[in-house]
Amino acid sequence: MEYITLITGFLIILAGLWAIMTRKNIIRIIIGFVIFDTGLHIVMVSIAYVRGGTAPILDGSVSIADAAQKIVDPVPQALVLTAIVIGLGVTALMLAYAMKLHQEKKSLNIESFKDLKW
Amino acid sequence: MTVYVKFGYTLLGLLIVLNWGFLMGATFRKIGARVAGRYGIPFYQPWLNLLKNISTRTTITHGVMYYIGPVFRLTGGVGLFLFMPMVFTGDPAGLWTNYSFEGDLILILYFQVFGMLGMALGAGQGGHPYSAMGIARGLAQHAAVELPLTLAFLSIAIQYDTFSVYKIVEAQQGGMMNWVLFTNPFAAVTIILAMLGAMGHSPFNLVKAPNEILIGPATEFEGTYLGFMQSAGSILHVMEAVLFMNLVFGGATSWIELIVKTFLIYFWSVFVGMVFPRFKIEQSVTWFFKVPLLLGFLAIIIYSF
Amino acid sequence: MISPIHILTIGLGGAFALGFVPKKAKDVAAIIMLFAIAFMGAISGSWLLSLINGGSAEQIFTAGFRPPYSINLLMGLNEAFLSTAINVIGLLGGIYLYKSLKSAGNHAIMVFLIFIMGLNIIVMTRDIFNLFVFMEIVSIATAGLVILTETGKSIQAGFKYMMATGIIAGIFLLGIIFAYYYSGTLNIDGLTSANIGLAKGGSVALFLILVSIILELKSFPANGWGLDVYEAANPGIGAMLSSATATAMYFVMYKILEMAGPQWNYYISLVGVVSFVGSNLVALKQKNSQRMLGYSSIGQVGLLMIILGFKDILGDNTSYIAFGILISHYFAKAGLFWLAGIVKQKGIKEWAVIRKKPLFLFLMGTFIFALIGFPPFPSFFAKWTLVMDLINTGNLPWVVAILFGSMMEAVYLFRWFGYAIKGENENIEDFKIELHKIIPVGIVVVSLYVVGYFTAQHTEVGAAINWIPLLFVAAIFVLDFLPVFVKNTIAIIGMALYFYNIYPDLDNLRLIFEAIFLVGGILTLIAGYAYKGKRTGFYPVALLMYAGLTAIIEAQTTLQFFFGWELMTAGSYFLIIRGKRSMPHGLSYMLFSIGGAYALLTALGMAYAGQGTFSMDIINGITYLPYWAYGLLIVGFLTKTAALGLHIWLPGAHGEAESDVSPMVSAILLKAGVFGVVLTLIGMGGPNNEYTWLPYALGWLGAITALSGNLMAVFQEDAKRLLAYSSIGQLGYIVLGLAMMSHLGWLGGFSYVINHFLYKAVLFLTIGAVVLRVGTHNMYEMGGLIKRMPLAFLAVMIGIIALSGVPPLSGFAGKWLFYNAILEKGWYFQGAIMFFSGGIAFLYLWRLIHTVFLGQLKDNHRNVKEISIWFLIPIYTLITGIMVYSFKPQWVLQPLGDMIAQYFPDGQLSWVGDTAISKYGHWAGTWVAVTVIGAFLIVLALLMLSTRKAHKLKQFDITYSGERPERPETTHVAYNVFEGLYKAMWPATIPLVEAWWNRVTDFLHDTADIARRIYSGNGQIYIVHIVLFIIVTYFVIIGG
Repeated sequence: MEYITLITGFLIILAGLWAIMTRKNIIRIIIGFVIFDTGLHIVMVSIAYVRGGTAPILDGSVSIADAAQKIVDPVPQALVLTAIVIGLGVTALMLAYAMKLHQEKKSLNIESFKDLKW
Repeated sequence: MTVYVKFGYTLLGLLIVLNWGFLMGATFRKIGARVAGRYGIPFYQPWLNLLKNISTRTTITHGVMYYIGPVFRLTGGVGLFLFMPMVFTGDPAGLWTNYSFEGDLILILYFQVFGMLGMALGAGQGGHPYSAMGIARGLAQHAAVELPLTLAFLSIAIQYDTFSVYKIVEAQQGGMMNWVLFTNPFAAVTIILAMLGAMGHSPFNLVKAPNEILIGPATEFEGTYLGFMQSAGSILHVMEAVLFMNLVFGGATSWIELIVKTFLIYFWSVFVGMVFPRFKIEQSVTWFFKVPLLLGFLAIIIYSF
Repeated sequence: MISPIHILTIGLGGAFALGFVPKKAKDVAAIIMLFAIAFMGAISGSWLLSLINGGSAEQIFTAGFRPPYSINLLMGLNEAFLSTAINVIGLLGGIYLYKSLKSAGNHAIMVFLIFIMGLNIIVMTRDIFNLFVFMEIVSIATAGLVILTETGKSIQAGFKYMMATGIIAGIFLLGIIFAYYYSGTLNIDGLTSANIGLAKGGSVALFLILVSIILELKSFPANGWGLDVYEAANPGIGAMLSSATATAMYFVMYKILEMAGPQWNYYISLVGVVSFVGSNLVALKQKNSQRMLGYSSIGQVGLLMIILGFKDILGDNTSYIAFGILISHYFAKAGLFWLAGIVKQKGIKEWAVIRKKPLFLFLMGTFIFALIGFPPFPSFFAKWTLVMDLINTGNLPWVVAILFGSMMEAVYLFRWFGYAIKGENENIEDFKIELHKIIPVGIVVVSLYVVGYFTAQHTEVGAAINWIPLLFVAAIFVLDFLPVFVKNTIAIIGMALYFYNIYPDLDNLRLIFEAIFLVGGILTLIAGYAYKGKRTGFYPVALLMYAGLTAIIEAQTTLQFFFGWELMTAGSYFLIIRGKRSMPHGLSYMLFSIGGAYALLTALGMAYAGQGTFSMDIINGITYLPYWAYGLLIVGFLTKTAALGLHIWLPGAHGEAESDVSPMVSAILLKAGVFGVVLTLIGMGGPNNEYTWLPYALGWLGAITALSGNLMAVFQEDAKRLLAYSSIGQLGYIVLGLAMMSHLGWLGGFSYVINHFLYKAVLFLTIGAVVLRVGTHNMYEMGGLIKRMPLAFLAVMIGIIALSGVPPLSGFAGKWLFYNAILEKGWYFQGAIMFFSGGIAFLYLWRLIHTVFLGQLKDNHRNVKEISIWFLIPIYTLITGIMVYSFKPQWVLQPLGDMIAQYFPDGQLSWVGDTAISKYGHWAGTWVAVTVIGAFLIVLALLMLSTRKAHKLKQFDITYSGERPERPETTHVAYNVFEGLYKAMWPATIPLVEAWWNRVTDFLHDTADIARRIYSGNGQIYIVHIVLFIIVTYFVIIGG
């Protein structure tokens, strides 16, 4: 089962990458990044999955003593949370950039922003 | 032998050379005239010229260098004579070896330019375009002549393992077959050909360019200056011939031999000059870069292995 | 001691605090930010001091747990140094950006503070995920700062930057998670001990981490996004990216590489060398200064990556080398970006405006020389150590690649600098100076020199360098506001005192050259009194050259030698480029010099290989690839003597230089190359060396150089170019003489060394002084000047007689020795070529004296005065030298012979009184001179007796073409005088060598132009580059 999520995660990453590399509209490219990030997050979570493990919350059902066997690894989940936050920041900034770009040339086509080259 | 005796003999030799130079010059003019079907000048004309030139009552001058030019030229001629062993007597300090103990072939080669330089600078101050043109041509041709000539001189120096003109002459004694002409024919032929350029007769006389009107560096001078120039020219002519005689034709053991040999050497260039018309400067330069240069290379190559 | 964690707290706290500052109180906000950064700097600085003095490193564990349960930071020596560096540049950059940040508002100020703080944590963190987080923070901050000055371009660049870093961060995160999967820890030390690289999957994880760091370092060619940012961002931000970010990311690479293990080193070097060579090559075509600096930054980071990859081989020296390169780049690149912001010009040609304020030219020059690795900057010592160690460990190909890349970098940087010094700047608006922008630039410039000094002191061999001449140069630089007269006197006294102090310590060989350098230098400096005003910048650079020259002579170690060599190159470059039309010649001089210097560097490295010492003795009997080593040494030195093939810089450089500079660079400077050749040939083992073909080839090269130099001189119309070509020819003689490897050959060569110094100084000084009077170099525009300048004429006449080798003057000594040497050696053809060149020399010498001094005086020169007395003094002093040499050649040749006999004992001349006797001939110099002078005087007396009062003619008292000329122009035969010879010899004058070099440069530029088309400007294409880069490196490293 965990492989399904892993593979799905990778497929989503590739889908995001494909969008980033082929879509011409800047908004779509940004959406590509969101997809790319999502794929990453899925991969991260699925890597940390322990077969049959429960959520890493120490309460009545899981004692501290046998936590190591029963719960999935909590660290990647913490990482994912951080990564999501960062991804949000990046996306927000990119959207702000998209707005500026549109203001500049009244276009959202990435190919119209090639003033800098060589 | 005291220094004074040596000096006296040297001075005497210089006088002989000067007069022989005049005579040879007259001969050349005479032959030229006869070939052209004219009667020509009397043989004593150069002496008359000298006498007339140095006794002119007035002279003109363009400036100091113009004045010094003929002095350089004549010093060049005299110096060349001083450093050249004239008559071989078997004694390196002999009477007619002049001051050749002060230097060797290399000194003579480079001292040749001394007079040329003086004439060039002197005539240059006159500001006449023809002098500059003549000198430019002369230098270009001189450089072209030098290349085969240097190769041939080197070949002879390699052959006898010396740069001393005296020793080269010494080595050629004892019969004609010892002459460089026969022992080192490539060098000899190179010199015989290159010599035509060094002597500066037709076809290599664009420098002096005796056209319908006489032009060129020498004609910039008059009076005493011209007299000095002509004297220097005569001496240089003889000395060129003596140099080639010493290097290729076994030198001379007496003044008579010297006179005969230099006349023949000189006559060779006159003869060619009578037959062949004048080259343009680019033609003469390329001419020296063909056969004489090739022969010069051969002269070296045979000693390279 | 304050805990390093407070760097974080101050950064974050300060940023939060800024939120409370009223929007209008921008000054308050900016000052809070600066104080915050200063305080962060103070913390890291205090740690640096403590750690240098032997304090112990500090581990900081957050949240009270030990790793892997918490994030930990480390404050070790590296971290302390780098975070100090980041904070210092952050503070300076903050000061520099003061106004820009203020006008952008408090948010921008906040972002800047976060940016600096983030970099600090990137350096200190030992947790890989924490690293990711702060890299993202820095990325976002950077993206925010890129649009600090909001233009269409900066927005585009920022967006591309975000796209690229988004992908890279994703890859990095993927790598982290896999690494965690295989090791169960995020702690770098934990990962190191887990050694996950052993597993296949683990190595993929490491690969992903490494490749994303490589990409973060903007490695060529997947770096279009980075270049765009460099180009479009505010230069102040460019400076931050290039200095602070690159420094921090480089350290990340170091940490990751430690973690990944040594099997990755090689690939890092490989990526580094591709980046270094590639981006420097592509930069060749760059016209935009900021983008060019971006290319250069990427190149420098590539070089640093190479060093990192070689860390196991370089051992203890790694940090020294990396430090030297890094710190030079850090200061210089920040400085250049800042200058770009002050000058406000994009195009490299427009930088000509910078010299409207000469001090700025000095700043720019310092940065460029530091980037290329000239002394006394840290990069010089680092590059030296790097090359020495790499060759010593058998990595010669890497050295070649590195030096090739450096060469490319030198090409575009010096072209740019050339425009700055010499380009057209009349129509460009002057730039304004703002104090807050100047302070940071000033601080980094001073730091470069200071750090350079201390970098040298760090090694034993560097500490031995004599800094006194450089201090003297610095003093003269400070006194540059004084008038010429004062500075000239100080310079002359300084050099005289120095020579007086140094000469007893030198052996005869070195004394000859030192005398040419310093005594000759003093003589040429005397001519400087003829100049009025301040002559801004002349004295520091002239003295820099002499400082270099004397350092070469005094060198006890190869480092000192190379140090002096580069100083001399730098000084002479500035001297040469001072000429009015010298820009292209200055550049080609510099490039040939650098190329030659790299050849020397490589050869000195080969000499060092296996020796373990830098003593100058190691060039005697090199054992590692000796043929190559000696060949490279010779090639390196021949770039300075301008041997055929390496000569194309010389005619322009010497011809266009100022009047008193030409003799310095011709009569004096060229001898430095000769000195090098002499040392090399001695090193090869003297007469019975085993390198038969090397001297043989050198001999032919010398002969052909002599011929072509002289031939080209004949067809020049420009008097100074004529002399310049003549120098090429004369140096050809010297090279041929030395190459003969015999006593007579060397005696001839040395005779020429001295003679060429004497007469070429006379000729160049005189012609230079004439040029100052008549205002043209073209000989056909002169003429008849003998009437106006008799003393100059006399000097030239003596000069040309000496040069031509006509007895009785000193030049004949050389000719006579050469004939004998040639005959002894059996090099007849080389000799014949040389003597033919001597014949050719008459042509140009006559042309020189005739067309300038004889013939017709031009109307506009009727009132010119005799050349300046200040030129006549050195000229006639030198002529006295020629006369002494001419009349008493044994005074010169006998000691020379004794000196040479140490190396070549066989075949000495024997002297009988005044007569020199060789195996083949004899020559009594004194007597020849006396005889000739005697004959001359007698003939002169005769002429004077027989001439009556001569009537003085006026200029036009001649007839020509049937008329009396009245215009000098139509009568003065000067232009194309040797037309006939040209018609006969034109094939020999085709500039094949120049054409060849042009094709080389065209080829490189065309390659660069094609290669750089990959940067299409489309952000998506850059992502494609990144993906392709990952795939290709994957196959190279793991798949391959």
